[in-house]
Amino acid sequence: MTMPDTLYGALMLSLVDFFASLVMISGIGVVLALFPLLNRIGKVDEEALRKTHH
Amino acid sequence: MIEQFLSFLGALMDQTGLAHFWWGNVVMIAIGCAMIYLAVAKGYEPLLLVGIGFSCIISNVPGSDLTQPGGLFHYAYQGVELLIVPPLIFFGVGAMTDFAPMIANPKLVILGAAAHLGIFVALIGAKLLGFTLNEAGAIGIIGGADGPMAIFMAIKLAPHLLPQISVAAYSYMALMPLIQPPVMKLLTTHDERRIRMKQSRQVTRLEKIAFPIVIGIIVNLFFPPVAPLITMLMLGNLFREVLVVNRLAKTAANEVMNVIIIVLTVAIGSTMAADKFLTIDTIEIVGLGLIAFLFGTGSGVIGAKILNLFLKEKINPLLGSAGIASVPIAARVSHNVALEYDSENYLIYHAMGPNLAGVFGTAISGAIMLALLGVK
Repeated sequence: MTMPDTLYGALMLSLVDFFASLVMISGIGVVLALFPLLNRIGKVDEEALRKTHH
Repeated sequence: MIEQFLSFLGALMDQTGLAHFWWGNVVMIAIGCAMIYLAVAKGYEPLLLVGIGFSCIISNVPGSDLTQPGGLFHYAYQGVELLIVPPLIFFGVGAMTDFAPMIANPKLVILGAAAHLGIFVALIGAKLLGFTLNEAGAIGIIGGADGPMAIFMAIKLAPHLLPQISVAAYSYMALMPLIQPPVMKLLTTHDERRIRMKQSRQVTRLEKIAFPIVIGIIVNLFFPPVAPLITMLMLGNLFREVLVVNRLAKTAANEVMNVIIIVLTVAIGSTMAADKFLTIDTIEIVGLGLIAFLFGTGSGVIGAKILNLFLKEKINPLLGSAGIASVPIAARVSHNVALEYDSENYLIYHAMGPNLAGVFGTAISGAIMLALLGVK
Protein backbone atom coordinates (compact mmCIF):
# COMPACT_ATOMS: atom_id res chain seq x y z
CA MET A 1 0.00 0.00 0.00
CA THR A 2 1.37 3.41 -0.90
CA MET A 3 0.35 6.85 0.31
CA PRO A 4 -2.04 8.90 -1.85
CA ASP A 5 -0.38 11.89 -3.50
CA THR A 6 -2.48 14.40 -1.56
CA LEU A 7 -2.14 16.62 1.49
CA TYR A 8 -3.81 13.85 3.50
CA GLY A 9 -1.14 11.46 2.20
CA ALA A 10 1.59 13.90 3.27
CA LEU A 11 0.10 14.19 6.75
CA MET A 12 -0.26 10.41 7.11
CA LEU A 13 3.25 9.81 5.79
CA SER A 14 4.65 12.33 8.26
CA LEU A 15 2.77 10.95 11.24
CA VAL A 16 3.56 7.31 10.54
CA ASP A 17 7.19 8.02 9.65
CA PHE A 18 7.85 10.24 12.71
CA PHE A 19 6.42 7.82 15.24
CA ALA A 20 7.82 4.73 13.54
CA SER A 21 11.26 6.39 13.52
CA LEU A 22 10.94 7.16 17.24
CA VAL A 23 10.05 3.53 17.96
CA MET A 24 12.82 2.14 15.76
CA ILE A 25 15.53 4.38 17.13
CA SER A 26 14.35 3.61 20.65
CA GLY A 27 14.82 -0.05 19.71
CA ILE A 28 18.42 0.70 18.76
CA GLY A 29 18.75 2.47 22.12
CA VAL A 30 17.53 -0.67 23.89
CA VAL A 31 20.05 -2.80 21.97
CA LEU A 32 22.82 -0.37 22.94
CA ALA A 33 21.70 -0.49 26.59
CA LEU A 34 22.45 -4.23 26.49
CA PHE A 35 25.99 -3.69 25.18
CA PRO A 36 27.67 -3.72 28.62
CA LEU A 37 26.56 -7.37 28.86
CA LEU A 38 29.03 -8.15 26.08
CA ASN A 39 31.83 -7.49 28.52
CA ARG A 40 30.84 -10.63 30.41
CA ILE A 41 31.98 -12.68 27.41
CA GLY A 42 35.52 -11.51 27.81
CA LYS A 43 37.98 -8.75 27.11
CA VAL A 44 39.83 -7.74 23.96
CA ASP A 45 43.55 -7.24 24.43
CA GLU A 46 44.05 -3.90 22.67
CA GLU A 47 47.83 -4.00 22.97
CA ALA A 48 47.97 -7.36 21.20
CA LEU A 49 45.73 -6.02 18.42
CA ARG A 50 47.87 -2.95 17.98
CA LYS A 51 51.02 -5.10 17.69
CA THR A 52 49.52 -7.30 14.99
CA HIS A 53 48.02 -4.52 12.89
CA HIS A 54 48.52 -4.50 9.14
CA MET B 1 33.97 40.74 -49.13
CA ILE B 2 33.01 42.48 -45.86
CA GLU B 3 29.67 40.64 -45.85
CA GLN B 4 31.47 37.32 -46.26
CA PHE B 5 33.90 38.25 -43.49
CA LEU B 6 31.00 39.14 -41.17
CA SER B 7 29.17 35.92 -41.96
CA PHE B 8 32.34 33.90 -41.19
CA LEU B 9 32.68 35.86 -37.97
CA GLY B 10 29.01 35.14 -37.15
CA ALA B 11 29.52 31.43 -37.82
CA LEU B 12 32.61 31.50 -35.63
CA MET B 13 30.63 33.19 -32.84
CA ASP B 14 27.99 30.48 -33.06
CA GLN B 15 30.70 27.91 -32.44
CA THR B 16 31.66 29.59 -29.16
CA GLY B 17 29.68 29.76 -25.96
CA LEU B 18 29.21 33.53 -26.25
CA ALA B 19 26.18 33.20 -28.52
CA HIS B 20 24.34 31.16 -25.87
CA PHE B 21 25.29 33.27 -22.89
CA TRP B 22 22.32 34.73 -20.97
CA TRP B 23 21.80 36.60 -17.69
CA GLY B 24 21.00 33.38 -15.83
CA ASN B 25 24.55 32.19 -16.48
CA VAL B 26 25.90 35.45 -15.05
CA VAL B 27 23.81 34.98 -11.88
CA MET B 28 24.99 31.39 -11.44
CA ILE B 29 28.62 32.32 -12.06
CA ALA B 30 28.21 35.00 -9.36
CA ILE B 31 26.75 32.35 -7.01
CA GLY B 32 29.71 30.07 -7.77
CA CYS B 33 32.13 32.93 -7.01
CA ALA B 34 30.23 33.70 -3.78
CA MET B 35 30.64 30.07 -2.68
CA ILE B 36 34.37 30.19 -3.28
CA TYR B 37 34.52 33.54 -1.44
CA LEU B 38 32.64 32.10 1.58
CA ALA B 39 34.98 29.11 1.63
CA VAL B 40 38.19 31.11 1.30
CA ALA B 41 37.41 34.32 3.18
CA LYS B 42 34.93 33.08 5.79
CA GLY B 43 36.03 29.47 6.17
CA TYR B 44 32.52 28.07 5.56
CA GLU B 45 32.85 24.38 4.63
CA PRO B 46 35.79 24.94 2.24
CA LEU B 47 36.08 21.23 1.43
CA LEU B 48 32.64 21.38 -0.12
CA LEU B 49 32.16 24.92 -1.35
CA VAL B 50 35.37 25.30 -3.37
CA GLY B 51 34.59 22.33 -5.63
CA ILE B 52 30.87 23.08 -5.87
CA GLY B 53 31.53 26.76 -6.61
CA PHE B 54 34.10 26.06 -9.31
CA SER B 55 32.07 23.43 -11.14
CA CYS B 56 29.00 25.68 -10.86
CA ILE B 57 30.96 28.44 -12.61
CA ILE B 58 32.24 26.14 -15.36
CA SER B 59 28.83 24.54 -15.89
CA ASN B 60 27.39 27.96 -16.59
CA VAL B 61 29.87 28.82 -19.29
CA PRO B 62 27.97 27.85 -22.45
CA GLY B 63 30.00 25.67 -24.71
CA SER B 64 31.68 23.76 -21.91
CA ASP B 65 31.38 20.07 -22.73
CA LEU B 66 32.43 18.91 -19.28
CA THR B 67 28.84 18.26 -18.23
CA GLN B 68 27.98 16.39 -21.43
CA PRO B 69 28.56 12.65 -22.01
CA GLY B 70 32.29 12.31 -22.50
CA GLY B 71 33.03 15.14 -20.06
CA LEU B 72 34.55 14.47 -16.65
CA PHE B 73 31.85 16.37 -14.69
CA HIS B 74 29.23 14.20 -16.39
CA TYR B 75 30.91 11.05 -15.14
CA ALA B 76 31.30 12.52 -11.66
CA TYR B 77 27.54 13.05 -11.67
CA GLN B 78 27.05 9.47 -12.84
CA GLY B 79 28.82 8.38 -9.66
CA VAL B 80 26.20 10.25 -7.66
CA GLU B 81 23.25 9.25 -9.82
CA LEU B 82 24.18 5.57 -9.71
CA LEU B 83 24.43 5.87 -5.91
CA ILE B 84 28.10 4.93 -5.81
CA VAL B 85 29.33 8.14 -4.20
CA PRO B 86 26.94 8.50 -1.18
CA PRO B 87 27.75 5.06 0.30
CA LEU B 88 31.46 5.75 -0.14
CA ILE B 89 31.09 9.00 1.80
CA PHE B 90 29.49 7.02 4.60
CA PHE B 91 32.37 4.54 4.37
CA GLY B 92 34.87 7.35 4.98
CA VAL B 93 32.75 8.91 7.72
CA GLY B 94 32.52 5.54 9.49
CA ALA B 95 36.30 5.22 9.48
CA MET B 96 36.60 8.72 10.98
CA THR B 97 33.94 8.36 13.68
CA ASP B 98 34.12 7.11 17.24
CA PHE B 99 30.64 5.87 18.16
CA ALA B 100 31.53 5.49 21.85
CA PRO B 101 29.46 8.54 22.96
CA MET B 102 26.36 6.91 21.44
CA ILE B 103 27.10 3.46 22.92
CA ALA B 104 27.86 4.95 26.34
CA ASN B 105 24.59 6.85 26.68
CA PRO B 106 21.81 4.94 24.91
CA LYS B 107 18.99 7.01 26.43
CA LEU B 108 20.14 10.01 24.40
CA VAL B 109 19.71 8.02 21.19
CA ILE B 110 16.02 8.94 21.09
CA LEU B 111 17.01 12.56 20.52
CA GLY B 112 18.27 11.41 17.12
CA ALA B 113 14.63 10.88 16.15
CA ALA B 114 13.11 13.78 18.11
CA ALA B 115 15.19 16.30 16.17
CA HIS B 116 13.68 15.21 12.89
CA LEU B 117 10.31 16.88 13.15
CA GLY B 118 11.65 19.42 10.65
CA ILE B 119 11.67 16.71 7.97
CA PHE B 120 7.92 16.36 8.23
CA VAL B 121 7.16 20.06 8.57
CA ALA B 122 9.08 20.64 5.32
CA LEU B 123 7.38 17.63 3.70
CA ILE B 124 3.90 18.96 4.49
CA GLY B 125 4.98 22.48 3.47
CA ALA B 126 6.25 21.17 0.13
CA LYS B 127 2.98 19.36 -0.48
CA LEU B 128 1.06 22.55 0.28
CA LEU B 129 3.22 24.34 -2.30
CA GLY B 130 2.19 21.84 -4.95
CA PHE B 131 5.10 19.42 -5.08
CA THR B 132 4.28 15.75 -5.59
CA LEU B 133 4.50 13.51 -2.51
CA ASN B 134 7.76 11.98 -3.74
CA GLU B 135 9.26 15.43 -4.32
CA ALA B 136 8.00 16.58 -0.91
CA GLY B 137 9.66 13.58 0.74
CA ALA B 138 12.97 14.33 -0.94
CA ILE B 139 12.73 17.99 0.09
CA GLY B 140 11.79 17.06 3.66
CA ILE B 141 14.92 14.97 4.14
CA ILE B 142 16.96 18.20 3.91
CA GLY B 143 15.80 18.64 7.53
CA GLY B 144 17.80 15.56 8.51
CA ALA B 145 20.95 17.63 7.85
CA ASP B 146 22.69 14.64 6.38
CA GLY B 147 24.18 15.48 2.98
CA PRO B 148 24.70 11.97 1.56
CA MET B 149 21.28 10.90 2.82
CA ALA B 150 19.65 13.94 1.20
CA ILE B 151 21.36 13.04 -2.09
CA PHE B 152 20.37 9.39 -1.71
CA MET B 153 16.71 10.26 -1.14
CA ALA B 154 16.67 12.86 -3.92
CA ILE B 155 18.00 10.30 -6.40
CA LYS B 156 15.40 7.77 -5.26
CA LEU B 157 12.40 10.11 -5.07
CA ALA B 158 13.01 13.18 -7.24
CA PRO B 159 16.26 13.07 -9.22
CA HIS B 160 15.37 16.25 -11.11
CA LEU B 161 15.53 18.17 -7.81
CA LEU B 162 18.99 16.87 -6.86
CA PRO B 163 20.85 20.17 -7.46
CA GLN B 164 18.49 22.26 -5.36
CA ILE B 165 18.24 19.68 -2.57
CA SER B 166 21.96 19.00 -2.32
CA VAL B 167 22.87 22.69 -2.43
CA ALA B 168 20.24 23.54 0.21
CA ALA B 169 21.31 20.65 2.46
CA TYR B 170 25.02 21.41 2.33
CA SER B 171 24.54 25.19 2.55
CA TYR B 172 22.40 24.97 5.68
CA MET B 173 24.78 22.45 7.23
CA ALA B 174 27.54 25.03 6.78
CA LEU B 175 25.30 27.71 8.29
CA MET B 176 24.17 25.69 11.33
CA PRO B 177 26.29 27.72 13.77
CA LEU B 178 24.17 30.71 12.72
CA ILE B 179 20.77 28.98 12.38
CA GLN B 180 20.61 26.87 15.53
CA PRO B 181 21.66 29.05 18.53
CA PRO B 182 18.72 31.52 18.42
CA VAL B 183 16.21 28.63 18.46
CA MET B 184 18.13 26.82 21.21
CA LYS B 185 18.22 29.93 23.38
CA LEU B 186 14.56 30.71 22.74
CA LEU B 187 13.45 27.30 23.98
CA THR B 188 15.66 26.94 27.06
CA THR B 189 16.09 28.83 30.32
CA HIS B 190 19.39 30.19 31.59
CA ASP B 191 19.54 27.47 34.26
CA GLU B 192 18.79 24.68 31.78
CA ARG B 193 21.68 25.79 29.58
CA ARG B 194 24.02 25.46 32.58
CA ILE B 195 23.11 21.86 33.45
CA ARG B 196 26.28 19.79 33.64
CA MET B 197 26.34 16.21 32.46
CA LYS B 198 27.76 13.32 34.46
CA GLN B 199 30.84 11.73 32.95
CA SER B 200 29.92 8.85 30.63
CA ARG B 201 31.08 5.31 31.24
CA GLN B 202 34.10 3.90 29.45
CA VAL B 203 33.19 1.90 26.33
CA THR B 204 35.33 -1.20 25.88
CA ARG B 205 37.02 -2.31 22.65
CA LEU B 206 34.75 -5.35 22.49
CA GLU B 207 31.67 -3.11 22.47
CA LYS B 208 33.22 -0.86 19.83
CA ILE B 209 33.92 -3.86 17.59
CA ALA B 210 30.48 -5.35 18.18
CA PHE B 211 28.69 -2.07 17.37
CA PRO B 212 29.19 -1.97 13.57
CA ILE B 213 28.42 -5.68 13.26
CA VAL B 214 25.21 -5.49 15.30
CA ILE B 215 24.00 -2.30 13.61
CA GLY B 216 24.90 -3.70 10.20
CA ILE B 217 22.68 -6.72 10.85
CA ILE B 218 19.80 -4.62 12.27
CA VAL B 219 19.83 -2.16 9.37
CA ASN B 220 19.95 -4.82 6.66
CA LEU B 221 17.22 -6.75 8.44
CA PHE B 222 14.82 -3.90 9.17
CA PHE B 223 15.75 -1.05 6.81
CA PRO B 224 16.95 -2.54 3.52
CA PRO B 225 16.18 0.62 1.48
CA VAL B 226 18.96 2.54 3.22
CA ALA B 227 21.21 -0.44 3.91
CA PRO B 228 23.80 0.61 1.26
CA LEU B 229 24.59 3.76 3.23
CA ILE B 230 24.60 2.44 6.79
CA THR B 231 26.35 -0.80 5.83
CA MET B 232 29.25 1.17 4.40
CA LEU B 233 29.25 3.46 7.45
CA MET B 234 29.58 0.37 9.62
CA LEU B 235 32.27 -1.21 7.44
CA GLY B 236 34.39 1.94 7.71
CA ASN B 237 33.82 1.96 11.46
CA LEU B 238 34.74 -1.71 11.80
CA PHE B 239 38.04 -1.03 9.98
CA ARG B 240 38.69 1.71 12.54
CA GLU B 241 37.77 -0.21 15.67
CA VAL B 242 39.36 -3.63 15.07
CA LEU B 243 42.82 -1.98 15.21
CA VAL B 244 44.35 -4.67 12.98
CA VAL B 245 43.70 -2.97 9.62
CA ASN B 246 44.87 0.54 10.37
CA ARG B 247 46.09 0.95 6.80
CA LEU B 248 42.59 0.39 5.46
CA ALA B 249 41.00 2.59 8.11
CA LYS B 250 43.39 5.42 7.31
CA THR B 251 42.83 4.99 3.58
CA ALA B 252 39.06 5.11 4.04
CA ALA B 253 39.24 8.16 6.30
CA ASN B 254 41.73 10.07 4.18
CA GLU B 255 42.44 9.07 0.59
CA VAL B 256 39.02 7.56 -0.23
CA MET B 257 37.21 10.37 1.55
CA ASN B 258 39.22 13.06 -0.22
CA VAL B 259 38.70 11.56 -3.67
CA ILE B 260 34.99 11.15 -3.01
CA ILE B 261 34.66 14.74 -1.80
CA ILE B 262 36.23 15.94 -5.06
CA VAL B 263 33.87 13.78 -7.13
CA LEU B 264 30.82 14.77 -5.07
CA THR B 265 31.44 18.51 -5.10
CA VAL B 266 32.18 18.56 -8.82
CA ALA B 267 29.04 16.51 -9.46
CA ILE B 268 26.78 18.78 -7.39
CA GLY B 269 28.17 21.97 -8.89
CA SER B 270 27.83 20.59 -12.39
CA THR B 271 24.07 20.24 -11.92
CA MET B 272 23.67 23.94 -11.17
CA ALA B 273 23.05 25.07 -14.74
CA ALA B 274 21.07 28.32 -14.80
CA ASP B 275 18.16 26.98 -16.84
CA LYS B 276 17.53 24.24 -14.27
CA PHE B 277 18.49 26.10 -11.12
CA LEU B 278 16.97 29.56 -11.50
CA THR B 279 13.38 28.56 -10.88
CA ILE B 280 10.65 29.25 -8.35
CA ASP B 281 11.09 25.63 -7.19
CA THR B 282 14.61 26.44 -6.06
CA ILE B 283 13.46 29.39 -3.95
CA GLU B 284 10.74 27.25 -2.41
CA ILE B 285 13.12 24.37 -1.68
CA VAL B 286 15.68 26.69 -0.10
CA GLY B 287 12.93 28.24 2.06
CA LEU B 288 11.58 24.83 3.08
CA GLY B 289 15.10 23.67 3.93
CA LEU B 290 15.51 26.57 6.34
CA ILE B 291 12.12 25.83 7.95
CA ALA B 292 13.14 22.17 8.30
CA PHE B 293 16.37 23.11 10.09
CA LEU B 294 14.60 25.52 12.45
CA PHE B 295 11.90 23.02 13.37
CA GLY B 296 14.40 20.17 13.68
CA THR B 297 16.51 22.19 16.10
CA GLY B 298 13.44 23.17 18.09
CA SER B 299 11.95 19.69 18.24
CA GLY B 300 15.30 18.29 19.39
CA VAL B 301 15.47 20.74 22.29
CA ILE B 302 11.83 20.14 23.23
CA GLY B 303 12.44 16.38 22.96
CA ALA B 304 15.30 16.70 25.47
CA LYS B 305 13.05 18.68 27.82
CA ILE B 306 10.34 16.00 27.57
CA LEU B 307 12.97 13.34 28.26
CA ASN B 308 13.94 15.31 31.38
CA LEU B 309 10.43 14.80 32.75
CA PHE B 310 11.22 11.09 33.06
CA LEU B 311 14.84 11.29 34.19
CA LYS B 312 16.11 11.61 37.75
CA GLU B 313 19.37 13.05 36.54
CA LYS B 314 18.46 15.89 34.17
CA ILE B 315 20.23 16.26 30.86
CA ASN B 316 21.19 19.59 29.33
CA PRO B 317 18.43 20.30 26.76
CA LEU B 318 20.98 21.91 24.46
CA LEU B 319 21.96 18.32 23.61
CA GLY B 320 18.61 17.94 21.85
CA SER B 321 19.50 20.13 18.90
CA ALA B 322 22.54 17.91 18.29
CA GLY B 323 20.07 15.20 17.25
CA ILE B 324 20.14 16.78 13.81
CA ALA B 325 22.48 14.51 11.91
CA SER B 326 25.12 16.91 10.67
CA VAL B 327 28.21 15.38 12.35
CA PRO B 328 29.97 16.98 14.19
CA ILE B 329 28.67 20.47 13.42
CA ALA B 330 25.45 20.18 15.46
CA ALA B 331 27.32 18.70 18.43
CA ARG B 332 29.82 21.54 18.28
CA VAL B 333 26.99 24.09 18.26
CA SER B 334 25.48 22.53 21.44
CA HIS B 335 28.92 22.60 23.06
CA ASN B 336 29.60 26.22 22.11
CA VAL B 337 26.21 27.52 23.24
CA ALA B 338 26.65 25.77 26.62
CA LEU B 339 30.10 27.32 27.00
CA GLU B 340 28.58 30.80 26.61
CA TYR B 341 26.74 30.28 29.90
CA ASP B 342 29.29 28.19 31.80
CA SER B 343 32.87 28.30 30.60
CA GLU B 344 33.61 24.91 32.17
CA ASN B 345 30.60 23.00 30.87
CA TYR B 346 32.05 20.80 28.14
CA LEU B 347 29.17 19.15 26.32
CA ILE B 348 30.93 17.99 23.16
CA TYR B 349 31.34 14.30 24.11
CA HIS B 350 27.74 14.05 25.35
CA ALA B 351 26.40 15.93 22.31
CA MET B 352 28.11 13.48 19.97
CA GLY B 353 25.72 10.75 21.22
CA PRO B 354 22.49 12.29 19.87
CA ASN B 355 24.42 13.71 16.93
CA LEU B 356 25.51 10.24 15.80
CA ALA B 357 22.05 8.89 16.59
CA GLY B 358 20.75 11.58 14.24
CA VAL B 359 22.55 9.86 11.36
CA PHE B 360 20.58 6.70 12.13
CA GLY B 361 17.42 8.72 12.76
CA THR B 362 17.59 10.27 9.29
CA ALA B 363 18.40 6.94 7.68
CA ILE B 364 15.54 5.18 9.47
CA SER B 365 13.16 7.98 8.60
CA GLY B 366 14.29 7.78 4.96
CA ALA B 367 13.87 4.01 4.89
CA ILE B 368 10.34 4.22 6.30
CA MET B 369 9.49 6.98 3.83
CA LEU B 370 10.73 4.92 0.87
CA ALA B 371 8.73 1.93 2.08
CA LEU B 372 5.56 4.00 2.56
CA LEU B 373 5.96 5.56 -0.88
CA GLY B 374 6.55 2.17 -2.45
CA VAL B 375 10.00 3.12 -3.78
CA LYS B 376 12.82 0.55 -3.76
